[in-house]
Amino acid sequence: MTAVLRAEGLSKRFGGLKANDNVTLSLEKGQILGLIGPNGAGKSTCFAMLAGSIPPTSGRVFLGDQEITGKPAFRVARAGVVRTHQIVRPFANLTVMENCTVAAAECSGRDDAGSRELAREMLRFVGLEKRRNDYPAGLTLAHRKKLEMARALSCAPKALLLDEVIAGVNPVEAREMVALIRRIRDEKGISILMIEHVMAAVMSVCEHVVVLDAGKLIAAGAPKEVVQNAAVIEAYLGKKHA
Amino acid sequence: MKRILPAWVRPRALIAVAVAAAILAVLPFIHGNRYWHNQLTETLLAIATALAWNWLGGYLGQVSFGHAAMFGVGGFVAARLQIAVGVPMIAAWIGAGVIAGLYALVWGHPTLRLRGPYFSIATIGVGEATRLICTYWVWLTGGSSGMSLPVQVQLKYQLYWYALALALIALAASYALRRSPLGLALLAIKSDVDAAGDVGVSSVRLQDLVLFLSGMTMGICGGFYASYYSFIEPGDMFGFARSISFVLMGVIGGIGTIAGPAIGAVIFVLLRNSLIATYPQLYLGLYGLLLIFVILFEPLGLTGLYMRVLRRARPDLGVTGIAAPESAAPAIGVTPPVEQREAK
Repeated sequence: MTAVLRAEGLSKRFGGLKANDNVTLSLEKGQILGLIGPNGAGKSTCFAMLAGSIPPTSGRVFLGDQEITGKPAFRVARAGVVRTHQIVRPFANLTVMENCTVAAAECSGRDDAGSRELAREMLRFVGLEKRRNDYPAGLTLAHRKKLEMARALSCAPKALLLDEVIAGVNPVEAREMVALIRRIRDEKGISILMIEHVMAAVMSVCEHVVVLDAGKLIAAGAPKEVVQNAAVIEAYLGKKHA
Repeated sequence: MKRILPAWVRPRALIAVAVAAAILAVLPFIHGNRYWHNQLTETLLAIATALAWNWLGGYLGQVSFGHAAMFGVGGFVAARLQIAVGVPMIAAWIGAGVIAGLYALVWGHPTLRLRGPYFSIATIGVGEATRLICTYWVWLTGGSSGMSLPVQVQLKYQLYWYALALALIALAASYALRRSPLGLALLAIKSDVDAAGDVGVSSVRLQDLVLFLSGMTMGICGGFYASYYSFIEPGDMFGFARSISFVLMGVIGGIGTIAGPAIGAVIFVLLRNSLIATYPQLYLGLYGLLLIFVILFEPLGLTGLYMRVLRRARPDLGVTGIAAPESAAPAIGVTPPVEQREAK
């Protein structure tokens, strides 16, 4: 297996707080990798560093063989690492279709018509094609999360970073999301790194899981093994349960 | 079949503008009235400035209260180039435009990274600092007593058609910036600059580009103004009232819309010239009131009013509360009424 996205010893300090401390992880080609941990463990900080939103204090990030450490977000996105946001951030003044078109035009290297074609294809893929001329304000939360994913997919990424796309939607929609995440990998061949709190979803969709606690990587392995790991149980539930 | 025009140019818009331009081009021969001739020249210049301001203030949502800085720099550089070096008028305008655009980048490259109202606050400082520096920079501006260009009555008459060309170029640029694929990226930046970066939009480069174009157009307009009035002085060229006038024209017409600021400019000049005769002390105060009413009742200005009427009259067109994809005004300056009832 070859690594699509690799982080080596990533650390991020915010003043005296070590939000990430020497985090090393590797997303293999065609893998769905889960990044879990209690609130405040530094998962979103890790994402932000991988996507170029914030520069790491130390450590390096590689996309394949290419080093992308410290590059601005738009370059990282064009290179092929695209993230979604935990709290969805659609462009409110653009239609659903335009939201995706702009991403396709900037990242996919296609011309105007090609970008629109790709955007529409991705909207069809996530099931939002019928809403393409609506504005995001009119969408439900689940649809806005799908829009966030379609927009990221319109960048034609190699690695997709999904930040809590399942949390907050109802159980039926959650099952759809899980199926959608699998299809992104199976049909589009895109490797996925996902932060998720809904453990049922993590257990069913992720082949491999890494666990962050207080900025440090405390466990890695198959989901079934990891949830029985004493350090992980302690991080989530406290010492007496471990 | 090979297209002559890019796909995003709508033929109807092109024809409408061509007809309007043709009428305006022959109008002076029809009315023959010197007063109206001057009024129209002023209006066309105001249209060009309002549109140029709107690229930054409307399309990117970075409202500048200091655009007189580029207008003034353009005016004085153009005048100085003509007087001291003997550069021909048009070349002086363009040279002044480039210098004004570069000047905009000098202060704008760092300040455009500011979020929210902080950019606007910074531009107030830039405008005032530029005014003071240029008031004391006597060899460039002639100081408080200003500087004069030779008065040429024939040229002043002809400048009408130059103003028409300027306004048309600014309108074409407004259309291109909004309608071309670039327009979507600008709106994305306006909506959420971080999220735009996450999907590959290079916000720094695009913001700088738009600022340069806006500043350059302002500079060319300043150069035109110097040639037209043959006398300029820093207090007027760099005045805060001038900066505010650009904002007002945009707001009255419809901030962020393609042609709204042009309509705003027409209203502005009409009002100014009728009010300044009767209430010379009051007219800025009246603009303040107008500004408050527009923002309270129709944040999209006249364009918003037009869309509201259109919604009433033609419900079949499906003009939405935000902006219809095919309407004249897809770009907006206000947050749409989001129903914040997200499922828990």
